[in-house]
Amino acid sequence: MTRTWKHIALLLIIPLLSLPVSGQQEEDVTFELKLSKESLGVNERLRVDFTMNRDGDNFVPPDFKGFRILMGPSQAISSSWINGVRTYSKSYSYTLQPLAKGKYTIGQASIVIRGETYKTIPREVTVTEAVDQPNGAPGADRIADENLHLVAEVSKANPYMNEPVSVVYKLYVSPSIVVSNFRPMDNPTYNNFWSHDIPLTRYNIEEGLFEGKPYRFVVLKRVVLYPQKSGSLEIEPLALDVSLEVPTDKRDFFGSPIYTKTNKVVSAGKRTIQVKPLPTSGRPSDFNGAVGEFQFSVSTTKDALNASESLQAKVTVEGKGNLKLFQLPKLTLPSSLEVYEPEFRENVRTNLSGMQGSVTEEYTIVPGFQGKYPIPSIAFSYFNPKTERYERIDSDEITINVLEGPRPITATETAPKTEKSTVVGGDQFYFIKLTPELVPKKWDPFFGSRAHIAWLFGPLLLIPLFILVRRRQDARERDVEGARVKKANRLARKYLSRAKSALGNEEDFYIALEKALHNYLRAKLKIETSEFAKDKIRTLLTNKNVDASGVDGFIGLLENCEMARYSPFSQVQMEQDYQKASQVITALDKTL
Amino acid sequence: MNRCLHIIVLSLTLFYGFFTYAQEASLFSKATTAYNQGKYDDAISYYEEILEAGEHSAAVYFNLGNAHYKKNQIAPSIYYYEKALLLTPDDPEIRNNLRFAQNMTLDAITPLPQPDLQRYYRDLLFALSMDGWAYAGIFFVLFFVGAYLLFLASSTPNKKRIGLISSLVSLMLAVVCTALSYLQYQAYRNDQPAIIFASEIPVRSEPNERSTPAFLLHEGTRVQVLDSLDQWRKIELADGQNGWIPSDSMRLLKDF
Repeated sequence: MTRTWKHIALLLIIPLLSLPVSGQQEEDVTFELKLSKESLGVNERLRVDFTMNRDGDNFVPPDFKGFRILMGPSQAISSSWINGVRTYSKSYSYTLQPLAKGKYTIGQASIVIRGETYKTIPREVTVTEAVDQPNGAPGADRIADENLHLVAEVSKANPYMNEPVSVVYKLYVSPSIVVSNFRPMDNPTYNNFWSHDIPLTRYNIEEGLFEGKPYRFVVLKRVVLYPQKSGSLEIEPLALDVSLEVPTDKRDFFGSPIYTKTNKVVSAGKRTIQVKPLPTSGRPSDFNGAVGEFQFSVSTTKDALNASESLQAKVTVEGKGNLKLFQLPKLTLPSSLEVYEPEFRENVRTNLSGMQGSVTEEYTIVPGFQGKYPIPSIAFSYFNPKTERYERIDSDEITINVLEGPRPITATETAPKTEKSTVVGGDQFYFIKLTPELVPKKWDPFFGSRAHIAWLFGPLLLIPLFILVRRRQDARERDVEGARVKKANRLARKYLSRAKSALGNEEDFYIALEKALHNYLRAKLKIETSEFAKDKIRTLLTNKNVDASGVDGFIGLLENCEMARYSPFSQVQMEQDYQKASQVITALDKTL
Repeated sequence: MNRCLHIIVLSLTLFYGFFTYAQEASLFSKATTAYNQGKYDDAISYYEEILEAGEHSAAVYFNLGNAHYKKNQIAPSIYYYEKALLLTPDDPEIRNNLRFAQNMTLDAITPLPQPDLQRYYRDLLFALSMDGWAYAGIFFVLFFVGAYLLFLASSTPNKKRIGLISSLVSLMLAVVCTALSYLQYQAYRNDQPAIIFASEIPVRSEPNERSTPAFLLHEGTRVQVLDSLDQWRKIELADGQNGWIPSDSMRLLKDF
């Protein structure tokens, strides 16, 4: 570039030199030392210019210690008239090659202008190690490199699992080059991430700073990523093929640089994200991977309806977080309700800060019977990356009231008994009972109680008792003859006791016997018989159904008694009569 | 003076029983009023006071079940209805309201079908109550004794024959009735139904926390307790599934 300038200057000088140097105005004389750079690599070159604004003589260069003069001194003079003001400059140029690393001083040069000697101020030059690209004409690629940057901006380098990370790709272009076109080489795949690309409708060119220098930039791509794995995850670079125009150091006739077209592949470079796993401590058992900030609710469209009408129960999660990446908790409903498969709905917007909106599962429920059906509360737990804690929301318990409909019939017969199913009149929930009918709580069944045992075996005792009684009765019946003898004895004792005591004394015995016989008749028939004739007694006894032998015996005895008064009777006869009397009385007693 | 005190104390103890009964009856009517005014909590506490005093009845349990049902408490309402049914097994009102309460339960259990033979046996066994069979047994014993005495006492062969046959038949019936009463007693002793009170409980394959849960049960489900080990109870469902759950997650129905 400097060289071209020199050429141009020389071209300009030629016509100017021919002009008379007339209107030269008095001006401060300057004599300066100019360095192309103050610090250079050992393999680079340094250009040193000594410039003055008056023509001078006797230029004495300094000794360039530590440098080798590659070229020079070359003189350049320029002089111009602009609006009657003359500008003049003359310079001596050297191109130097440093010999070694270190700090060197370019010493004083002197010149004599109009009889006065001017000197430059010495300046220091630092020679550093060899540089990769020694100066010289930079190629188009290098210029492109320096002026074109593709940057991936990652919002968070160290997120939790399922916490949103946004990646913004920006192409920085310095004002000195022109981008004519760009084409993405391939779209990065985000392995182990759930990614959502936020489409750009148009590319806006914005002004910004890049490494402290003004740049223009274009946002090329915006992606929201949800890491699905913990550990260090790589984001693949985005590669871009950019067509651009780079200024060369050639200039056109008007001095503006000539641009060359070139293609350049830029890539954003690999980025690594350290993903933290969700903490295990305090993780609820029903946690299903929701990360963010949510609200949770369960609602029904109706809470009172008739049977066979339908209602909807909605399970909704609302808020910011990985809404599309977890399952909603399932509703547990009474088994007696008819429930259809839930319908899933989502209303999620995704922007750079992540997903936002709501997801809903809608259950259609048709109750078949009347009654109350509670929808128990269900819990939804999520991890809040801001508080770094698990949070849990319980839904409210809802009761559905089915007002009208058939009475519930349950398949599960509760009692083990299969009772005759009693027909129930109404189909409503019955009111409480109004009579207490309280009994002590103690359960004592009749079965197994003492009363039960007694009643069960007690009656059996009747059988042996009966048999015993029967036996006794039989025995007594069998003993009838003996009883008769006993009775006869008793009668004889009663009536014949005097006769017995008089046994042996003939007269007394028969008187007593006769008296006893009459007494007997008197006692039995309740009549006085002592005066009765024997015939009368005979008819009387016959009327009483006394058999003939008994009557004959009785009469015979009476005759014997009469006869005994007149004729003697032996002891033996007396005994016989006594026996006979007792027999007759016993026999009579049977019939009377 | 002392004697006077004695008399007072004596009469007090005599009337104590009557007083407590009257007190509980008034509690019952208080509870009825509270229930009708919608103060179910008050009603429940009155009924529980009655129960604590050692008295109970199907009516008290039924009303407790109703009050809990009104408060949407599934397990207690089913529990008390089932208790009421234990006392009066064929009350249609209790059965009806129990069905309402069972509607709120979450578990769907289809009972295993019973073999015909078993069903006939159960029909026979539960045709009369336990005490009913016991009374029937006594009746037949008395009949047997009567008939046997007739057999012993009568002299004509026809009467004797009738007496002997009827006595033998009634003796057999008496034995059968008493045996059925005993079998029902055994069945009653072995039948240990319980109601799940925990809102959700995993039923495990072994009586410890380490073992894998086999299935889940929810509150209000009726289970049969088969066995126990420490704090664990082995339960069986009407559909034949069984497993172990901690004893505090359920309540036995026959705890009176």
